[in-house]
Amino acid sequence: METPPNLPPGWAAQWDSTHQRHLFIESATGRSQWEHPAQFPAAPVAPIDAQPQGQPQPAGTSGKRRQYATGQTQAYYGTPDTSGAQYADAAYAAGQPAQAGGQLFTPGLLAEQGGFQAQQQAPYYAPQEGYANGQYPQQPDPAAPAHQVNQMTNQFAQMGMGQKPFQFQTVNLLSMQPDPRDLHRPPPEIRLPPNATVSPSPSANADPSYKRSTINAVPTTSSLLNKSKVPFALIITPHRTLKEGDEAVPVVSDTVIARCRRCRTYINPYVQFIDGGNRWKCCMCSMSNEVPQLFDWDQARNAPGDRWARAELNHSVVEFIAPTEYMVRPPQPPVYAFLIDVSHAAVQSGMVATATRTILESLDRIPNEDNRTKIAIIAFDVALYFFSLAPGQTETSMLVVSDLDDVFLPKPTDLLVNLTESRGAIEALLGRISDMFQDSHTVGSAMGPALQAGFKMIQSIGGKLMVLSASLPTLGAGALKSREDPKILGTSKESSLLQAASPFYKTFAIECSRAQVSVDMFLFASGYTDIASLSCLPHYTSGQTYFYPAFNAARSEDALKFAHEFGTVLSSPICFEAVMRVRASKGLRMSEFHGNFFVRSTDLLAMPSVPVDQSYAIEVQIEETITAPFVVLQTATLHTTAFGERRIRVVNLALPTTSSMSELYSSVDEVALATLLANKAVERTISHKLEDARDAITNKLIDIMTTYKGSMTAAGSGASSQLAISDNMKMLPLLCLGLLKHVGIRQSAQIPSDLRAYAEALLTTLPSQLLVPFIHPTFYSLHNMPPEAGTVGEQGIILPPPLPLTSERLERHGLFLIEDGQTIFLWVGRDAVPQLVQDVFNLPSYDQLRGGKITLPLLDNPFSQRVNAIIAKTREMRRGPYWPHLYVVKEDGEAPLRLWALSGLIMDRAEQMPSYQQYLGQVRDKVNGSSY
Amino acid sequence: MGGEAWLFLFSVLASAGFLFTTVFFLIMFSDLETDYINPIDLCNKLNQFVLPENIAHAIITTLFLLCGQWTALLINAPLVAFNANKILQKNHMYDATEIFRTLPNHKKESFIKLGFYLLSFFYYLYRYVEMIAALIAGKVPLVKVKESSC
Repeated sequence: METPPNLPPGWAAQWDSTHQRHLFIESATGRSQWEHPAQFPAAPVAPIDAQPQGQPQPAGTSGKRRQYATGQTQAYYGTPDTSGAQYADAAYAAGQPAQAGGQLFTPGLLAEQGGFQAQQQAPYYAPQEGYANGQYPQQPDPAAPAHQVNQMTNQFAQMGMGQKPFQFQTVNLLSMQPDPRDLHRPPPEIRLPPNATVSPSPSANADPSYKRSTINAVPTTSSLLNKSKVPFALIITPHRTLKEGDEAVPVVSDTVIARCRRCRTYINPYVQFIDGGNRWKCCMCSMSNEVPQLFDWDQARNAPGDRWARAELNHSVVEFIAPTEYMVRPPQPPVYAFLIDVSHAAVQSGMVATATRTILESLDRIPNEDNRTKIAIIAFDVALYFFSLAPGQTETSMLVVSDLDDVFLPKPTDLLVNLTESRGAIEALLGRISDMFQDSHTVGSAMGPALQAGFKMIQSIGGKLMVLSASLPTLGAGALKSREDPKILGTSKESSLLQAASPFYKTFAIECSRAQVSVDMFLFASGYTDIASLSCLPHYTSGQTYFYPAFNAARSEDALKFAHEFGTVLSSPICFEAVMRVRASKGLRMSEFHGNFFVRSTDLLAMPSVPVDQSYAIEVQIEETITAPFVVLQTATLHTTAFGERRIRVVNLALPTTSSMSELYSSVDEVALATLLANKAVERTISHKLEDARDAITNKLIDIMTTYKGSMTAAGSGASSQLAISDNMKMLPLLCLGLLKHVGIRQSAQIPSDLRAYAEALLTTLPSQLLVPFIHPTFYSLHNMPPEAGTVGEQGIILPPPLPLTSERLERHGLFLIEDGQTIFLWVGRDAVPQLVQDVFNLPSYDQLRGGKITLPLLDNPFSQRVNAIIAKTREMRRGPYWPHLYVVKEDGEAPLRLWALSGLIMDRAEQMPSYQQYLGQVRDKVNGSSY
Repeated sequence: MGGEAWLFLFSVLASAGFLFTTVFFLIMFSDLETDYINPIDLCNKLNQFVLPENIAHAIITTLFLLCGQWTALLINAPLVAFNANKILQKNHMYDATEIFRTLPNHKKESFIKLGFYLLSFFYYLYRYVEMIAALIAGKVPLVKVKESSC
């Protein structure tokens, strides 16, 4: 036993041998407490989960857990004052420098010695008042004056002045610290003129997750649009996951489809009924059309119905069940052909076993409502292995085809079988495949011939080819060479590595698109796999590429990630044989299309399948002066659902027109704009050079800034020390910088072209919700997060407030989380206290901690549970199949991992890329320089 | 005797052929724009003609070189270089996936080629008629006879 030091007068310490700690007794009152009185002077409030005062603490782990030194407690969980003013810079400047105070690292001691009396009373998970005003997202950042002004504008507007004027705020970027929460603001309000819509329904205009526009007010002339330099484009995600609580898309089931006779527009909430409701006037071409007879008839009840209750007049996103006129053939059943690589590398990495097990487990989740789903399995290495799956049997026979030059199907039947009928055979086969090829030592992959065989098998129906490959295709059609040359990485020739190496992948993709066959690629290679070439197939057939570099199923994290993503893809409510067309009001024309599809006609996009949560960008041109007060952009996707119904999904977006530049600028949707820039930049990296793509992004930003400064600010064309932009675009420079620093685009000689190509495939397909974190990662500080973070609140688990992406915010004793939607990094400072390591990782000290992929243990302590809850929430809060890996990054750990994690902090200087402030400076100089 | 006349007769016929091909290309492009044909069929059709046309043009230019028709050679050399460059960069074929993005360029290119073939057609015709006239008059210029190696 030892005497605890520094007891204040009036206190005595008594050693409690059962609990191995001191009991402190205040002599005057007789009160006792476990905590050191210097830190918890006469604590009037009991810690929330602590035992009542004076009562002996039950022996066990929970007693030991709180044996921290004072300073540690503060360093670990943050002192109230730092956490309270999370966004005030002053508080962060006080980020306690690491000093050895006493035998343990106790940065908090500094504060304590400096007369720090308002001591922390509660353990880390108890409420801290300081956070009440830093809460996210209920309360806006109090530092931003913009909000106050907004509120004032709102107040004025509510005084009955009718249509609110556009609030127009110019902010100076140079004096502003970007707040990551601003990225999640809703896009600028769409202010349609009164009576634009026939329905008072709030869902009469499309939700941004389905369709958003880069500008929410359309200029009336193309010269105004060109002058503003803001591109006009739509970002469309026609099919997105519906999570719990999301409103399902209403279905019009009576096959009464009212369309304009001239422009074929579907009836929507923006049409006008004329002639006593007998006719309707098209909102796009002003054509007067007859209302169909059965429009006011409720076929379900066989009674007159209420027209105003019809879904297509109340909702912007509706689905019509299409009658036979919309079919060229009966709706196809869902078809899945799995092409599984069984070469040595694939078997050794455990890919075959994991994949077959996942398919086996997902058999019940594959869309198969009406028992029509068909399945085929082909294995390939240097030969093709077909499996005959006769219905009603559990015996399967294998047929080997080694003629790769002229691929043929060895059997006319039983290769592509009905899932329900041949369930037994399929299950038996899936259970055996990995054993069958267990001893395979063949090296080489005939992926091309396998694709041709799979295509032959399903081409008469259409459907999905799922390719699972762990090696570079080396045999037969579409053979590729390992063309990556480290010498040309980082040079202007690098973009040649991002182009398809073999024309096979384009011509075959076109054949597939024609036969309504869509290809998904799951790639697992440990070496070079030429994703740039292989991803062409998903790109033109509306599939998706998934990449698992250095996959090894022996690591449970790898297997889990792949199984989760593959399972989600298999079970997603996919649509087949789709075409998409965007129609718009007179004067607008769709000019360019970006995304995974094949452009079959000037405005018709062919999509053999419509995967959920894939986004498309479509640029719009203003061809003639628009006279209407608002325009409507209507996307119609004609598709076959997985349960064999032909449906048309219609998504309407109505935007007001404007002839004022300020209204145009204040209605720019920066997230949609960044999505478009990402798409265009990726295309430029392939067709031109990486450097050109980067320049194009910056030049676009400079153009917008220059015009804005010239036309919207008092500085006019003169030089200015400010960098002005409207409030709704204030995150645009940061998003541009994020793009410039993105793996797919940034200047570096270290990025393998596979990673680049994969990142580019993601940049062009991710919907805004996933794309924003992908280019602007989310950064949390976990060691001093507010007490409610990680607990369940009204909207699920509460996340800590995101920090600006700069390494200034990293503290040496801290635990931070950086995530971009694809990967999660847990950054552990080198002076992390043992208790923190113990609580989160169940390891005795920082030195025992190893960097790399981990599964975080769920421990029996609140902090571990909160961290786990935050990670779980991060993994499932966004739409899409992705299951991010969790990496532990030690501050002094391996350099590549550390640099990878820190490359997410895009506001820092890295390699040749400027920091955010430097970038703004460069942009300002260009803006000032180019105006004369 | 009359080798050059034969050469120019051949060139006149060839450039007439080129003219037809180019007009065919332009018609197909406008069909594509008005959605009478889908890009896959269009590219399959047009790509059959690209290489034969380029090769035929290169052969004629080579014949001009061999026969020492320097003016005709000079006129044709840039187009040969242009075609050769395209073939070397492997973008001479029409790509169905990119066709809508590149359509304006293709049309422009075809129009310029149309003009070029039209001009060269009349030039060859003029030279041919000139030579035939000289033959009939029986006074073939001495210089030409010396140069003729065909």
